[in-house]
Amino acid sequence: MAKKFKAIVRLQIEAGKANPAPPIGPALASHGINIMQFCKEYNARTSNRPGEVLPAEITIFTDGSYTFVLKTPPAAVLLRKAAGVDKGSGEPNKEKVGDVTREQVKEIAELKLKDLNAIDIEGAMKQIEGTARSMGITVTD
Amino acid sequence: MKTWLEVSLSVDGEQAEAVADVLARFAPNGVLTEQGADYVDDEGQGMPSGPIIVRAYLEMNEQLEDTQQKLEESLFYLGMIQPLPKPTYKKIADQNWMEAWKQHYKPIPVGKRLIIVPVWLESPKPNRIPIKIDPGMAFGTGTHPSTQMALVLMENVFSSPPSIVIDVGCGSGILSIAALKLGAQTALGVDIDLESVKNASENAKNNGIGDEFIVGQGSVKEVLENKFHIKRAPLVVANILAPIIIRLFEDGLADLAEPGGRVILSGILLEQEPALLEAGQAKGLDLSERNQIEDWVGLSFVKS
Repeated sequence: MAKKFKAIVRLQIEAGKANPAPPIGPALASHGINIMQFCKEYNARTSNRPGEVLPAEITIFTDGSYTFVLKTPPAAVLLRKAAGVDKGSGEPNKEKVGDVTREQVKEIAELKLKDLNAIDIEGAMKQIEGTARSMGITVTD
Repeated sequence: MKTWLEVSLSVDGEQAEAVADVLARFAPNGVLTEQGADYVDDEGQGMPSGPIIVRAYLEMNEQLEDTQQKLEESLFYLGMIQPLPKPTYKKIADQNWMEAWKQHYKPIPVGKRLIIVPVWLESPKPNRIPIKIDPGMAFGTGTHPSTQMALVLMENVFSSPPSIVIDVGCGSGILSIAALKLGAQTALGVDIDLESVKNASENAKNNGIGDEFIVGQGSVKEVLENKFHIKRAPLVVANILAPIIIRLFEDGLADLAEPGGRVILSGILLEQEPALLEAGQAKGLDLSERNQIEDWVGLSFVKS
């Protein structure tokens, strides 16, 4: 019989830097996950990509066991890279920090399609555009 | 002790990543999303379902008010594209997050003769040699395949126990303690992390081990500099991570083993094995035994 499924936790953390402080500690302790084991596994798998934010998707089963897979970097990170900016705007409605083309948005959406909950590429692009606007990055045609 | 402000929003699947991205800009430690499961079929197999909770933790300090205001502004802006619920806030105090997990920690038989027992429990198998471990904040709780493989490889070497064992990156001290319980006269454990040194020392005491276990802060270089009065041993163990082991080869890891002695290495992912084997061979290590659990590999070498 297949293992019974309890929850999916997705952690968005920096490669090689997992540790028991929040958000990892409170997120995993409540599910009975061996925090240090997870940190060791995550750091082992990501230490060759320092500085990158690499999300880990942890599937937790009712018997307390878990598995995890690494996901694509967050949209915000890819957008910053595409726009050539270090960080998003603190006041996105007033201050614009950069711009990306719709073609670049499509490329990011294609890369992230499998990790997003979007039904199709248009839905994924809508999400990426939303993230861009919330960061003060303008999408141009 | 730090206090944290937990920020959370319950959103649908389409909004989750965009909201997580916004929170991540204000929570440098990272963010998380969590989704539950409904039991939908006859076997009780679950499917991800329901809203997704996006959470982040802001440290409560003098910048908090400003950070919180900027975060709400960013969420407001995102909400203009797709309506969002208001974030909810909860104060939480920093704590030892390991405590909650301890409730789930059970004795683990390893190999033919050993059993790892959490320090607060009695061994359920009196015919096995117990290694009592308090997981603390150090690596080496015994639940990880890499630790289990290192112990099994050690057990095989201990058909004729080596007199001295050097344990590089000793973590909780689990391998040193096992070596002493299997018949070694002396074990030297070193770790660059002071917390691990303390934890290893505590674990040794909990196992009734005294002066036969020497533990200190350091690594290969410090051992070769004779900081601990043991520079070489018939058995060297290192359960760390492959890239670090390869780096330690350059510092002289293989030189810690006597000619004809054994070197047991663990913490190696399958994909990292070829590079590690190559680095080991270049330092005069010949592979004698290999173990694999899932995609982790443990290797036992003889020093030429």
